[in-house]
Amino acid sequence: MSILANKDTRVVIQGGAAGVNAARRMAEFCYLIKRPLTVEAFVYPPDAGKTNEVPYGSGLIAIPIYKTIADATKNHPAINTSLVYIGADRAMKGGMEALDDPNIKVVSMITEGVPEKDAKLLGAHARKLGKVFNGPSSIGIISAGACRLGVIGGAFDNLVLSKLYREGSFGVITKSGGLSNEIIWICSQFADGITTAIGIGGDAYPGTDYVSYLEMFENDPQTKAVVIVGEMGGDLEERAAEWYGAKKRRVKLIGVVSGFCQESLPKGMKFGHAGAKEGMKGEGSARSKSDALKKAGAVVPPTFGALGPVIKETYQELLKSGQVKEPVEPAVLPKLPKSVEEAMKADEVMVAPLIRTTISDDRGDEPCYDGYPASELINKGYEIPHVIGLLWDKRLISKQEAEIIKRIMMLSADHGPCVSGAYATILAACAGIGLSQAVAAGLIMIGPRFGGAVTDAGRWFKYAVDNKMNVDEFLAYMKKNVGPVPGIGHRVKSLRNPDKRVKELVGYVKSLHIKTPCLDFALAVEQVTAVKKDNLILNVDGTMAAVLVDLGFPVDSLNGFFILSRTIGLIGHWVDQKRQDSRLIRLFDYLVNYAAPKRREVPPLK
Amino acid sequence: MAKVLEGPGMGLMKKWGIHVPNYVVVTSVDELTKLGQANDWMKTSKLVAKAHEALGSRFKLGLVKVGLDLNSAIAATREMLGRQVGSITVSQVIVSEMVPHKEEYYCAVKSTREGSEILVANCGGIEVESNWDRVKRLCLEVGQAPSAGQLEKLSKEAGFTGPLAKKMADFSGKMFTCFDTEDAQYLEVNPVVTRESDGELVALDAVTLLDGDAKFRHPDWNFQFAAEFGRSYSKDEVEVMAVDSKIKGSVKFIEIPGGDTAMLPAGGGASVYYSDAVVARGGKLANYAEYSGDPPDWAVEVLTEKVCSLPGIKNIIVGGAIANFTDVKKTFGGIINGFRKAKGDGKLKGVKIWVRRGGPREKEGLDAMRALKDEGFDINVFDRNTPLTDIVDKALQK
Repeated sequence: MSILANKDTRVVIQGGAAGVNAARRMAEFCYLIKRPLTVEAFVYPPDAGKTNEVPYGSGLIAIPIYKTIADATKNHPAINTSLVYIGADRAMKGGMEALDDPNIKVVSMITEGVPEKDAKLLGAHARKLGKVFNGPSSIGIISAGACRLGVIGGAFDNLVLSKLYREGSFGVITKSGGLSNEIIWICSQFADGITTAIGIGGDAYPGTDYVSYLEMFENDPQTKAVVIVGEMGGDLEERAAEWYGAKKRRVKLIGVVSGFCQESLPKGMKFGHAGAKEGMKGEGSARSKSDALKKAGAVVPPTFGALGPVIKETYQELLKSGQVKEPVEPAVLPKLPKSVEEAMKADEVMVAPLIRTTISDDRGDEPCYDGYPASELINKGYEIPHVIGLLWDKRLISKQEAEIIKRIMMLSADHGPCVSGAYATILAACAGIGLSQAVAAGLIMIGPRFGGAVTDAGRWFKYAVDNKMNVDEFLAYMKKNVGPVPGIGHRVKSLRNPDKRVKELVGYVKSLHIKTPCLDFALAVEQVTAVKKDNLILNVDGTMAAVLVDLGFPVDSLNGFFILSRTIGLIGHWVDQKRQDSRLIRLFDYLVNYAAPKRREVPPLK
Repeated sequence: MAKVLEGPGMGLMKKWGIHVPNYVVVTSVDELTKLGQANDWMKTSKLVAKAHEALGSRFKLGLVKVGLDLNSAIAATREMLGRQVGSITVSQVIVSEMVPHKEEYYCAVKSTREGSEILVANCGGIEVESNWDRVKRLCLEVGQAPSAGQLEKLSKEAGFTGPLAKKMADFSGKMFTCFDTEDAQYLEVNPVVTRESDGELVALDAVTLLDGDAKFRHPDWNFQFAAEFGRSYSKDEVEVMAVDSKIKGSVKFIEIPGGDTAMLPAGGGASVYYSDAVVARGGKLANYAEYSGDPPDWAVEVLTEKVCSLPGIKNIIVGGAIANFTDVKKTFGGIINGFRKAKGDGKLKGVKIWVRRGGPREKEGLDAMRALKDEGFDINVFDRNTPLTDIVDKALQK
């Protein structure tokens, strides 16, 4: 047997994330004692109609979320208990809603910082209806082997260590959440464990006090003794003492009270719990509570540390008198399935990875590029081109190489609004499209006719150099197998009107006196083609391609240099349009050659 | 529980129709001089000037001056402003009109488990404290307001007669309305006096304690709450409070000057048992502290730094029960960072650290603490098998 929470308890949880977390903890307990999940519904209006997923063993249970308590109990008539995980400003309304539902008999509130008046109103309303309102600030209620309400009992390992999978003989009532676990643990080590443990919350006026629960424990034949953990402030412990002393009680009472230190501390000092405060006239001190309990016949150890031996002594007496028998522990207990991470850490499973990476890793406190921490690269003077080198070619390039890449990027960052990429981005920006999509619209234009010839140009120049072709052999090969030479030719530039960007780049690279076989070959090709036709010059794509191949970049990465550089321009165009608040644009009719058939009659549909 | 100074306290009473004397709260002599020109009552009435700070026994300290005219009120204010009492600097002075009266009475409303209690006595001032049996009470259930009949009966029981009985009933009714609507936990007016000019009951002094948790529904609470123990908060205390107000869970820190045992325990409940254990062992607490509700590691780190900065400490008690959901590894991570910082700043010399804890990821957390030994910390680590407060016994063993 147990009180408040038992095998018939079915729960609705009011609230969001904290409530879901509690449901997970509750599911772990249900799994440990091999019973179905006690949580049947959530009430959380913002997510009404959806479900929360709660792990149970190695599976997941979907629990429906409702808008109101009435909806939840209508769909789940077995629900008789509500746990309130709602913020302090709305907690009273939620608690009242639960209390007013005819199916719900117990409401336990975890919310901290609930105004005193609200807590009193909730408590009074529950008493009027003959229901239980537990809390606020309650860690929860747990009945060993039967039911867990809230996170009380802690992690799964602790549930097992504290033998919460089977019933003992001790009831526990505490104000403090952390100490409830401590007492449960002590009862399991120095005696046979608990029946039910209740956190009543550390507020000044909890909805239900020790006396109501002592009365319930008195009527629960399985509970042989009750441990209460009190605090200075208020008069709950005095009332418990009064109840215990009023007549002969079946249960033994063990009590301990904190706050003796207050005698030697500055007056008015505030402790962790709202209820832990001195009375106006010194009433409610730890000493007066402790004395009241002793006087009523309760066992009161001098310190918290002495609780264990006292509980042990009580248990030994119960054993001797035959009131309790030594518990039989189950041979096997379910183990909580490990998550994949945990199992891997323990070397228990091997997982075939889904993807493989050879360039970067951000599992530490900062990203590492090809093994080098980003901050160290920054602090040692490396720049963006070096990061490109690491991520695109897995090597730390030289200062000189970085300078070339920087110049390539600066030369290709933008080419005005009229080219396909910029125009597409501007068009999208004017249509109110967001940055990433508008820039993507511009990037989509990069292909065989616009900006996308770098890779191909690099590929064929490299092919020629690798195969030691001369220009004529190369041009013949291209004519036969490929078509026009990528990287050669320009729409508007020509020998007489050269592309300044090409001149700049070639001039710089040449001034470095480094080996540039590809660039040399490309320039040789231009010598031949430009003679054939004035605009068949080495264009900027071809120049970049030849230089980058000479630097050793893989052919497949070459278009990346244009994409990356031009993205700078595309972002600029989008921001520029946005800043001007540009309007939607469309083509003027006079810019279209309407070559479609003239207007004509539609024939009848056959 | 949040204490409110006299000025805002009287403001709340005035809001609910309780007569209070005219008053102003000033922060400079200039302000008072200007107010004196603007308000007739300051020129015509006798005045009282009081330091407007959370200080006990202001009379003895010379921080209350009565029977003043405007010029002497200005002089008194000049004298009080900037005076240093312990850690408090007087930064505000409340100047109110003296209300000529003969009789003094008492009225209070206090919170009880069932609801509230209205207290009335037909004596006031210090007289009521020595005649506590003359205070009559009316107990009310939460949600219940007193009827006019009940209030009149209470006032008659307390010895009020004739028209005064009705007036006192009205006064206490307004006190209750103020208490109930303003989420007060304690309201006390001592003395209540009959104003000679018009025969109305006036509240001459107000003690106001409000429920800080109800602040969310009182947008007009534009005042600061005062420290409740006769001194202002220290810089470190204020910093921890600022962290506390920002995070999920809580961190608390109060300094106790002169102590040598520093506290860094987890849990609102356990922290007090640890403090008890120190006192029981004859130790001297250097502070009260507590973290709970799975606070973020950085918040615990801030708290740790403050604890390590306490002067003259010999032991630090990093105690805690078996946590329900506070992640031991994470919160200990914050403590460890705090310890390292403190050590780096040259603190913690000769300080012994004592750890006891259980809860989620306890093994990892405790192992990380143990590893601090290798970094030269004097640290002793115990797990759940060592009873809660035994580390205090070990630490304070002579």
